[in-house]
Amino acid sequence: MTKWGMVIDLEKCTGCQACTTACAMENNRLPGENWQDVLFYHEGTYPNVNLSWLPRPCMHCENPSCVAVCPTKATWKTEDGVVLVDWNKCIGCKYCMIACPYGVRFYMDEKATIEPDTRAAFPGDGTRSWNPPYRMPDAMEDPSKGIGIQPHGVVSKCTFCYHKISKAPKGVADLDEANPATREHTPACVRTCAPKARYFGDLDNPESRVSQLIADKGGVRLKEETGNKPQVYYLSGGGAPVVPGQRSNKKA
Amino acid sequence: MDDQNLSTTRRRFLQTTGATGALAATATTVGLPLGDDTAQAQGAASGATKITKSICHQCPARCGIDVYTTNGRVHAIYGSPNHPIANGKLCPKGPLGIYVLYDPDRWKSPMKRTNPKKGRNEDPKFVPISWDEALQTVADRLNTLRDKGESHRFSLCFGRGWGASCAGLLGTFGDLYGSPNVPIGHSSMCSDGSILSKQCTDGNASYSAYDYRNCNYLLMFGASFLEAFRPYNNNMQVWGYIRGEKTPKTRVTAVDVHLNTTLAAADRGLLIKPGTDGALALAIAHVILTEGLWERSFVGDFKDGVNRFKAGQTVDPASFEEKWVKGLAEWWNIELKDRTPKWAEGITSIREHNILATAREFGSTRPAIALFERGAHAHSNGIMNGMAIHTLNALVGSLYAKGGLMYQMGPSYGAMPVDEKAYMDDYAQNGAWKKQPRIDLKGHVDGYLLAKNMLQEVGPNHLKGKPYKLDTVMFYLTNPIFTAPNGQQWEEALKDVFVIDTSPFPSETGHFADLILPDHTYLERLQDAPTYPFQGWPMAQLRVPAIKPLYDTKYFGDTLIEIGKRIKGKTGEYYKALGNTENVIRHLAKGFEKDPGDNGVNSFESWVEQGVWYKKPYLWQQIGGDFFEWDGKAYAKPMSADDVKAKLFKTPSGKFEIRSGYLEKNIDWVAEKTGRDKARLMFPVWEEPKHPGGGDLYLVSPKTAMHAEGRGANIPMAIAHQQPVVGGRKQVFVEINPVTAKARGISDGDVVKIKSAAGQIEVRCRLYEGTRPDTLVLPMEYGHWAGGRWSKNVFGGHCGHATVNQSDRVTGQCNYYTTKVTVERA
Ligand code: SF4
Ligand code: SF4
Repeated sequence: MTKWGMVIDLEKCTGCQACTTACAMENNRLPGENWQDVLFYHEGTYPNVNLSWLPRPCMHCENPSCVAVCPTKATWKTEDGVVLVDWNKCIGCKYCMIACPYGVRFYMDEKATIEPDTRAAFPGDGTRSWNPPYRMPDAMEDPSKGIGIQPHGVVSKCTFCYHKISKAPKGVADLDEANPATREHTPACVRTCAPKARYFGDLDNPESRVSQLIADKGGVRLKEETGNKPQVYYLSGGGAPVVPGQRSNKKA
Repeated sequence: MDDQNLSTTRRRFLQTTGATGALAATATTVGLPLGDDTAQAQGAASGATKITKSICHQCPARCGIDVYTTNGRVHAIYGSPNHPIANGKLCPKGPLGIYVLYDPDRWKSPMKRTNPKKGRNEDPKFVPISWDEALQTVADRLNTLRDKGESHRFSLCFGRGWGASCAGLLGTFGDLYGSPNVPIGHSSMCSDGSILSKQCTDGNASYSAYDYRNCNYLLMFGASFLEAFRPYNNNMQVWGYIRGEKTPKTRVTAVDVHLNTTLAAADRGLLIKPGTDGALALAIAHVILTEGLWERSFVGDFKDGVNRFKAGQTVDPASFEEKWVKGLAEWWNIELKDRTPKWAEGITSIREHNILATAREFGSTRPAIALFERGAHAHSNGIMNGMAIHTLNALVGSLYAKGGLMYQMGPSYGAMPVDEKAYMDDYAQNGAWKKQPRIDLKGHVDGYLLAKNMLQEVGPNHLKGKPYKLDTVMFYLTNPIFTAPNGQQWEEALKDVFVIDTSPFPSETGHFADLILPDHTYLERLQDAPTYPFQGWPMAQLRVPAIKPLYDTKYFGDTLIEIGKRIKGKTGEYYKALGNTENVIRHLAKGFEKDPGDNGVNSFESWVEQGVWYKKPYLWQQIGGDFFEWDGKAYAKPMSADDVKAKLFKTPSGKFEIRSGYLEKNIDWVAEKTGRDKARLMFPVWEEPKHPGGGDLYLVSPKTAMHAEGRGANIPMAIAHQQPVVGGRKQVFVEINPVTAKARGISDGDVVKIKSAAGQIEVRCRLYEGTRPDTLVLPMEYGHWAGGRWSKNVFGGHCGHATVNQSDRVTGQCNYYTTKVTVERA
């Protein structure tokens, strides 16, 4: 069975945020509703300062704590390994937002990050909580999978561009933007990332690029201690992870 | 570790650690029937979705884009996979282009001002008018001026010109109508310091093209390679390759005044005192010579092969046999022999051992590229800094080498549909306008004799009435009230002149306009654009409208042609014969019939279909000190010295001139205006920069990844990510070193007042260890007081209001990064 996953190579990532904006436009996100974001840190004292950054989508965990806490089963895990929110079932209780160790879930009706409120500039029509003139084609929207413009009062999150990947030719190992056959099925962030810091494919397929990269370059997952087992892996340059990973810890 | 993000997201990410362990129980997995819709497996490209080839408009890079339109709605932009710059990729600005199209604050038709009073707080009281009325208003003014013999008092200033069908039309308009001020470009407010530095040394008045993919060492001065340097998108593609895939991995040293993503991602980041990049380059050159690391096959050598370059000691110029450089030994004697790393440490504040290590790496790794852009040369000593840095490329033999630098070739465009020479009436040829200087005094002994443009002087000169007052000024893709240094002067200047703006969007310049002739946004245009310097081989791309214009707007090129048709006499006849921009573009494409592109583009239709014409390879290469031309299969046809002079080193000597013949030719003027020593001014020598403003801290205003040329100012999504490195998500911060802040009682997040002789601004601050203690860093972008609803609503002043209008007298480069300011809590 396919298990979609992503690899992000931090050695190549330039921190440009193209993943963030490509995601926002493909998925019609509000400014500040960063299904995908890049987090920046610095430490040290002038002139010896270290500036670093971490691109962060939803981790689409194997053991998603968000799914476990959802009282209405609105948050669910697909057979091909993707965590989605069914907006028809979501009651906006935000339990999942608290349960998620990675802070990748968003509630629609927060105060606008950027004023004036973009929702006011493009007011909604009935089910859609807002309605930008550039929103995705109606045929792609699917509230049961959290795709498109959400109604009021629900939680939203990265879908791994499920409207794209779910239409991929069956059995492919990689969803690679360089391959014309899979380009349109590659998540927006992966497709746009200029330095090719992002890879997407089937973690269960030993032939996939993601599987090979995780092995060759020592892929690590964030916050292994939570036991969530993210399906997003990070590479940081060497042939082995800088900090030993915990994937061998079967107990998780 | 500091948490640089203000968003709750980041905090939550940290706080929930550990709290969720207990929740890691069994995951509910719900089966998803994938269905049998794989028949429509083309996803977004299926059914009614149309992909149009166009070019991004948000920076000069000109990335090819695929614009996705379904049911009349543009809903996605991706990089064109078949475009050599984009390669299917985009920078963070690229996908946001859809916002530009649907910006609710766009002008929706031509507008006329009805409030004669102008000022920041004056409502222009614009009312919509017809195109016919708008165009006739302009033509009437221009005809009247011409009748009075005052056509020079009409100026057309432009910023980002794209191709032959917009900015390319302007020169002809100036010639036919009769104004030296049509056009005035913005290059002096962009990066002319770089262009002049190249012109003075290797004879090419141009930006360089670079072969990064084959380069093993990159030494970057300023330029913000991973934030703003064009072609940004491709730079990042290059970065992923040279840093993550290439063997051997390319080593990088980056020099700037604050720790940005480029310095952070480099092997070595050097934080340099503003305006002293030339001193660093001189010390690197010094080490390359004393340690014998120069490329002998290109530079030449001592006749007996014994290196006599010893710190503090002169050499006999006759003992050194120069090959492709001119003036090396003389330069050593009058300047370089004393420019030791220790000396440079005192000037630049970069530690001697770091300079030495950088010089040794750069000098011993081939091929190597030294690149610089605005920053290194945006100071009074800019020409010297630029020449010094570019000379490093000569010392390691990178000019025209594989993995080195070259210059951009132009596309095989067909001829214009009409020859303007047949339409030059007597006034055009001999009218009084011919004797008038340009309003900006470019090319004038009293102004900037060697500059290419001096847009920053147009406002101030008009205000003074020197050399004269303008009557009418029209702007295309430039907003100088906002972007010029000390824009306050422009606010005065534009009060008593008839202003025409052609931007699709309201802006500060538009706020002072008498007439708005709104352009289409880029996704609505048919517009050509030859490439900006890229990899040397020629390329020309095309914007194809993805959608019919949403409003009553007109492509600027057509606006100009329509005005031209209304000019009396032969000028009007010319424009009637020219027709429209589509006719122009169709004629350009005829050139491809004779010279089809590598992708088969050989007509207007195939150009529309592919969006780009290009033809590899670059025609020349320097290999081991010899020059060769491409013979169809390889760089195998040897070039004579005359060939090299005609095509590659367009200097008086036909060599790379460390002793600049171009400066020598103008030696009296340069010496008089700069007070420089006539024995030295033609060499890259060290000169202390002049820092106006009267403060104690340098104010530096770089561009961020979301900024480029500022066309994202009204895009909420861009505002949300403007300066993420220091947490600037919905505002920009001025970066202050904590030591500097503490000494002034300033805390993180305070609103501070930044003051100089030019003016003062208020902006919120962020304490950042990555910024030099003697420098404030405030990105260019915010502080819009006119424009769209989002751009106006962002807190913080605009850096330009505290920037003194000073330019490098030789290059005309506006000194954006040289003003000294004071800072205090507001
Ligand atoms: S688009 Fe790629 S390079 Fe840019 S921040 Fe995202 S992952 Fe990093
Ligand atoms: S690099 Fe420039 S042209 Fe390319 S996508 Fe970014 S803004 Fe557009």
